[in-house]
Amino acid sequence: MLKKIILYFHQKLWRTLFLVCAGVLFAVTLSSIINIESVNLLKQKVALPLQVIYAALIGFIAPGPRYILYPILIKLYEFGINLGVIVALISGHVLIEPSTVLVEAGFFGYRFPIKRFVVSFIVTFLAGMVSSVLGSYVW
Amino acid sequence: MVKRLKKAGADIKIAFLLIALSIVIMLVCKLNFLSILTINKAIIFKIIYLTGFAIAISTAIHFLIPEDLAEKHLKDNKLIHLFYATLLGVLTPGPVYAIYPIVLELRRKGVGSAILVAYLTGQTIIGPARAPFEIGLFGWKFYLYRILLALMMGPLAGVLFIAFSKVWPDREIRNP
Repeated sequence: MLKKIILYFHQKLWRTLFLVCAGVLFAVTLSSIINIESVNLLKQKVALPLQVIYAALIGFIAPGPRYILYPILIKLYEFGINLGVIVALISGHVLIEPSTVLVEAGFFGYRFPIKRFVVSFIVTFLAGMVSSVLGSYVW
Repeated sequence: MVKRLKKAGADIKIAFLLIALSIVIMLVCKLNFLSILTINKAIIFKIIYLTGFAIAISTAIHFLIPEDLAEKHLKDNKLIHLFYATLLGVLTPGPVYAIYPIVLELRRKGVGSAILVAYLTGQTIIGPARAPFEIGLFGWKFYLYRILLALMMGPLAGVLFIAFSKVWPDREIRNP
């Protein structure tokens, strides 16, 4: 049993680490472009509900595994971006991806992923807006 | 090399795509690779060792939680079942692709689409393997808040899916 567990852990670790390292490289490269001025400009020019909508949509189309977003989120957090935007980005990134839409359409028919996309978008937006109100209690 | 890449899994292909995208961004924005690594070395090391913890947690759950747990506890589209489905999703480790065979089997056994949506929402939005990352980077309060939020988002997604399905019903899946 122990041998089985170690083998499973070993196989999963190296495969995941390769993907995570590639993802982190992409994330830190992308976060190098983000600076405090652009974040401040975004906060001033774009209203909060629209920021949450953009975050959810960027999350939906963002490529890569779940963990790659964290370096970008840390930078946004340090620059004082609203919690609602961070929650919308995390939730949007994982709920629907272009590749899973195709997989789900193949398994369940095209209506299932379309409805799931709409539902996920509404739920992510609501979660983002609730989080923006509760931000000061959570941090 | 190209033949080996074609045979590789989706995750390996995505990893190569991400490396290629990073190189393109570095070239277009004239970024220095070494300076990016130096500036971000603390976060890179943190994410790598947290990945080890995350894999350890998902390995433990893989061997502790029976495979038929979801099938036993998900029957129809009642709100409490939507909540159970979300909770089971939250507890299920692994990438979303790994759970599609489970989801397809549940669908074939007559589990409603709304339940599956709640399960998929719970599974993707948060999971045990995320704990080291979110606690390590943002703290306990943030992770607990995210769990609570996920437990509300899953049933809500299920309820909205039921509402949409009344207007636009799902296509019937034929058993093979």
